[in-house]
Amino acid sequence: MTGLSLTPTIVVDLGGSGLVIFLSFMALRYANFLVKLQPKNFIWGFLFYFCFAMAAFSISRGVGHILRIILVLGGQEKVWQQLSPWSGGFNTLLMISVASAIIYYHKGLAAYKAIRAEAEKLAEANRKLAETAEALQKMNTYLEDMVADRTRELSKSEKKFRHFFENSKDMVYFCDIDGKITDINQSGLKMLGFDSPPEQFNLLSFFKNDAALDRYLSTISENGFVSDFEMELESSDGSARHILLSANAIFDKNGFMTGCEGIAKDMTRLRNMTDQLIKQEKMASVGQMAAGVAHEINTPLGVILGYTQLMMDDFDKTGEVYENLQVIERQTKACRKIVADLLKFSRQSDSAKVEVDLNGLIEEVLTVSEHNLNISHIQVVRRFARVLPKAIGDAEKLRQVFINLFNNSHHAMANGGEIMVTTSHDLAAGEIVASIRDSGTGIADDIKPRIFDPFFTTKEIGKGTGLGLSVSYGIIRDHGGSISAESPVQDRETGQKMPGTAFHVRLPVAAEKNVINEEQ
Amino acid sequence: MLISTSQANEEKMGHSSRTPKTLLITFLLLIQAGNAWAFQSHGGSEGLYVHQMAHILFMGALTYLYLHTRRTQDLGSRGWRYLRLFCVLLFFWNLMAFAGHEFALHLSLDDFIDIGTWNEQIAPPISFLKIIYFVAKMDHFLTVPALLALFISLRTFYLEAREEIKK
Repeated sequence: MTGLSLTPTIVVDLGGSGLVIFLSFMALRYANFLVKLQPKNFIWGFLFYFCFAMAAFSISRGVGHILRIILVLGGQEKVWQQLSPWSGGFNTLLMISVASAIIYYHKGLAAYKAIRAEAEKLAEANRKLAETAEALQKMNTYLEDMVADRTRELSKSEKKFRHFFENSKDMVYFCDIDGKITDINQSGLKMLGFDSPPEQFNLLSFFKNDAALDRYLSTISENGFVSDFEMELESSDGSARHILLSANAIFDKNGFMTGCEGIAKDMTRLRNMTDQLIKQEKMASVGQMAAGVAHEINTPLGVILGYTQLMMDDFDKTGEVYENLQVIERQTKACRKIVADLLKFSRQSDSAKVEVDLNGLIEEVLTVSEHNLNISHIQVVRRFARVLPKAIGDAEKLRQVFINLFNNSHHAMANGGEIMVTTSHDLAAGEIVASIRDSGTGIADDIKPRIFDPFFTTKEIGKGTGLGLSVSYGIIRDHGGSISAESPVQDRETGQKMPGTAFHVRLPVAAEKNVINEEQ
Repeated sequence: MLISTSQANEEKMGHSSRTPKTLLITFLLLIQAGNAWAFQSHGGSEGLYVHQMAHILFMGALTYLYLHTRRTQDLGSRGWRYLRLFCVLLFFWNLMAFAGHEFALHLSLDDFIDIGTWNEQIAPPISFLKIIYFVAKMDHFLTVPALLALFISLRTFYLEAREEIKK
């Protein structure tokens, strides 16, 4: 009788038990790796406990089966019968444990998912926060870049306008409603006679003419601006400056004027040049007229003088007629002198120009004049340049010029005083400058423009012809130089103004030869 | 205020009257004690019942694990598929083991030949019950693949997790 052999089941049981134990421990090994890799992951934790329970169950069951086979086939069935309940009990217990682990998974996973959902929400919130922060950072960066760009542009613009403001040769200023200057460039300060800005100064206080100030204020308040406003400023050192002013009123948001800004151009030099040109033209016209008159009068005067002298021979020298003829002769000669002076003024007379040492020439004049000056208690101070180039000129005429100037100084100092004679070489202009400065009464402003006019004099009638300065002017102009008057006199060193008058004669340096000599 | 006072009195009186009652009941219980019934006796078949119930519990847990991991979208990776395969195989092993235990109850020593030897056989005639018992004895054909699936599953999880961390 042959039954169904259970040998294959025994073999499968032995092999299968071993494999199950091996595989369960391999699974437990990887579960352990997972837990170590990500300790906070609940799933891996669950799988670890699950695999642990499965490994325990596999050992319990596998070892039990192997023991049963060994003991039963080894004739130790009684021993197995004693161990069998323990093996079965362990198997049951461990199966329940595996099931419990799964049930634990049910609740644990729910909790884990809830926590993870919260964590994901938090992570999402963090991510959004990070994105927002990044966006803000970008915006901030962009804003910073934008601000940097704007600042750079502003700085460039500010630099440009600051450069224009600082380096403008014209006065650029800002002032408040009361005219108090709030900002002014260096040229403006210089124009107003300052080296550095004083604590407080008012533009309106520099207006020399009250009428011009009123006109300026009314125009700017009515129109909001002034354009090419010609005026005269008196700088802090007292010198007058002709100014061409353009200014705009500054208004606040309510339309009220809060101050003004303006540019002022110093026209003094141009004005002086213009005046000088006008004067030169006038003098030229006067000279031409004088030359014509002198030429026409000179011949009849010669005839009158000749006939007078002839008639004087015909009359007794003690008679009344002879005396009358002497008067005619004397006055005719006076007229001829005037005519000669007029001719000199108008350059109609001949002149011989040679090299002239101006120091020596002035010294020669002083040799003659100084005695009379000393009698009038006038001291002469010489400040001659030690090395002075020579000038080309008519020595005689130049002597006459300096005689006239010394005479003028003499007359201006009736109670005595001091004459300072200075010579110098203006290298930049290529001119020799001779200045005759007295400490006299000075020249009034209203007559300054007329002092070189022919026949203009402040002396009493009969004491002067008014041709001295005119003739001097004509002579110096004929030499290619210039003569100017300064009154009151400004001290070159201290800048202070002193009473008196200074005449500055400027003559061109003779020739290169002289310059070379000077250098040698 | 009156109520509080009366309640306090009752509580006081009740406490004093309860102590003799407790002592009396304790005394009566001690003198009247017969069979204590302190330990439930467990028959021989109880172990099998518990074991079979453990199989059912195990199957239920595996079914839950299978269904839950399948239903959960986050658990759809390759590792989880092997774990579900493990659940299925082990479920059928449980079923087979359960059936094996049940059918074994209907077999007697007469149904076996050469018991306790390598040549042990199921005695003829070979019935359906005996075939099922024979097949159930070969349950390692389910447990070995099941544990292999579990091993592959865990290994896959580990490799995936390690790759994820590397990223």
